Amino acid sequence: MKVLDVNSVTKVFGNYKAVDKVSFSIEEGKIFGLLGPNGAGKTTIIRMITNIFAPDEGSIKIFGEDINSNSKNQIGYLPEERGLYKKTKVIEQLEYFGRLKGLTRNEAHKKARYWLEKVGANGWENKKIQELSKGMAQKVQFVSTILHEPNFMIFDEPFSGFDPINAELLINILLEMKSQGKTIILSTHQMYQVEKLCDDIFMINKGKQVLNGNLREIKKNYGKNNLIIEFEGNGNFLRNISPNQIIDYSENRAEIKITNYDEAQQILKNAIADNHITRFEVEEPPLNQIFIDIVEKNRDEYETVK
Amino acid sequence: MKQSNKIWTIMSFEFITRVKSKGFIISTILAPIFLIALIIIPGLVASFSMNETSKHIAVIDQSSIVVDKLIQDDAKTFFKSNSSVDELKKQILNGKLDAFLLIPSDVLQKGEVTVFTPGGGGIGYIEKIDKIISDIVREKRLLNAGVDKKVINIVEQGIDIKSIKVTAEGTQKDYTEFFSIFGYMLGFMIYFLMFMYGAIVMRGVITEKVNRIIEVINSSARPMEIMMGKIFGIGGVGLLQVLIWVILLVAVTVAGGSIATMFIHQPSLSSMPQGAAATQIKGLPFDIPQIPIGVWFAFVFFFLAGYFIYSSLFAAVGSAVDQEEDAQQLQMPITMPLIIPILFMPAIMANPDGTLAIVLSLIPFFSPIIMTARIAATSVPLWQIAASVVLTLGTLFLCIWFASKIYRTGILMYGKKPSFKELIKWVRLAK
Repeated sequence: MKVLDVNSVTKVFGNYKAVDKVSFSIEEGKIFGLLGPNGAGKTTIIRMITNIFAPDEGSIKIFGEDINSNSKNQIGYLPEERGLYKKTKVIEQLEYFGRLKGLTRNEAHKKARYWLEKVGANGWENKKIQELSKGMAQKVQFVSTILHEPNFMIFDEPFSGFDPINAELLINILLEMKSQGKTIILSTHQMYQVEKLCDDIFMINKGKQVLNGNLREIKKNYGKNNLIIEFEGNGNFLRNISPNQIIDYSENRAEIKITNYDEAQQILKNAIADNHITRFEVEEPPLNQIFIDIVEKNRDEYETVK
Repeated sequence: MKQSNKIWTIMSFEFITRVKSKGFIISTILAPIFLIALIIIPGLVASFSMNETSKHIAVIDQSSIVVDKLIQDDAKTFFKSNSSVDELKKQILNGKLDAFLLIPSDVLQKGEVTVFTPGGGGIGYIEKIDKIISDIVREKRLLNAGVDKKVINIVEQGIDIKSIKVTAEGTQKDYTEFFSIFGYMLGFMIYFLMFMYGAIVMRGVITEKVNRIIEVINSSARPMEIMMGKIFGIGGVGLLQVLIWVILLVAVTVAGGSIATMFIHQPSLSSMPQGAAATQIKGLPFDIPQIPIGVWFAFVFFFLAGYFIYSSLFAAVGSAVDQEEDAQQLQMPITMPLIIPILFMPAIMANPDGTLAIVLSLIPFFSPIIMTARIAATSVPLWQIAASVVLTLGTLFLCIWFASKIYRTGILMYGKKPSFKELIKWVRLAK
């Protein structure tokens, strides 16, 4: 089932096209990475999904329905720029945000206590936000967005302000939610977290889609994979490979640039004939590299057009 | 969830957190104390300086008909002196004497008296001397002219003007002056409340924007709901505060009145025309007539209507800026129509039925202050009240509509402070 279906959506601010004919969809129970450099249009897309404003063209469906006044309650949204009332007690704020999402005061109170406990923040109920450290406040903030336990959540840079231990805690909560069949959009610049968590990714640059699909497939087919092969033997198979493709070569180790997996299989076949293979690995490019490549390629194109 | 529930949630949160705050409790207690101090202290100071006994004034009375009366009138200040003029002048220079009075023997003929002072010291006591001596001299002259003592008493009795208002229910004592002052007070109070609570709304909007709380709330409720919830909630705080003050005021006057009546006998009450006594709060050193219930209705209505008009505009300004300092310039078009009625107030209260008063009270941005003051001060024709109510309500809805357009764009905008031109553009572009 499609939890979210974004269909050819465009949003214009004045003369500026913030989002240009963007389409993607998210299946239930997936963690979906929404990527792109600063100012690419990520926040604009999220704001249309959360019904903060409407698209100029195209349609957005949540749980198969057009966005309506009800959809806000079905989504949990942690914005990148976020804050809490400094002088209000933790429990009062959480009750307030829970009630805004349609919970009763009682339900909100119970769930607030449950989640505070879960993120290791029990005993903070009656503290004011100004008494908390940034990391502690971020935990409360996180709780405030998932308090109503929605089936669809959007987290924009959820790890900012967290130390590695708390980031790990957060990751575990996200994975637990996924295992419960909940759907998550994760928007972050921390590519390591994306590689670790996301099933599918969507990348936007200057308002336009540049990548969309399964993360594994994208990495596999990106065309910039490296084959690392270690062997004992004559190494004759290397002669059939264009020297341009060989990045690194030593006595019994070679690093070869390949464009697809079939090529790797062919090299393996040739090598195995008169060598003893001790290591054979196709190294996928890190997402970080893909991200930088795409943004830089786009910039070059833009410069040329100019 | 229905839209009204979200407004209700936001409103109750705003209301409860603010009512529980120290600021509310302190301002609710301090404002009446401050107001009472503002009324009482000038009176106290004035009466204190009137009775001041520090002045020492010698009197050389060559006519010997005035000095006894002066001493009888104020023995602490005046004393008889037989010293020479030069001697007394020395004493003034030494600071032993504040002034001295030379009453020549021909005072009855020429009516001239000389006061020697070191300069300064106010005119209060000179006026007092003038009055006492004038009375004495007048009386003596009349006596000397052979006028009957009875006639002199009649002349000196003076005149008190009692004004009686004629109404359908009969005649009653006229409180025109009281109601003018009361109207002025109510108008000023509405001004003060609209300004104060409007600014609180603005600060609330700015705080939510600066702390990025708005980003979180915005994904839970519509901008219109957020803005209206805030305005309702803070308006509720204002209304509660006003109610506390009014109840306190009534309680104090009633309690103070009943205590005072135990000590003060008021013969004037029984001699007053029927109808007046019944509508009076008894026992105060000054009369307070009962305030018609309609005035309180007008006060509450115009306070709320004015509050909605101005607070929605204040919310719009708050949404457009990133920090309070930037709001100064954008606030101008809001604070001007707030201040203008206060500037016109004295002229309007001098003639609350005049053309100026009628015209200004019908302008919706001025109505809350001026119409309330007029309703308290005079009998405003019904059509004028009706017209101002309709115009004010119309303006109220227009202002909320206008403000919500700016608000929904403003809360998402960070960075450069927008110009008025840009604000108008936001209104036009918002769907």
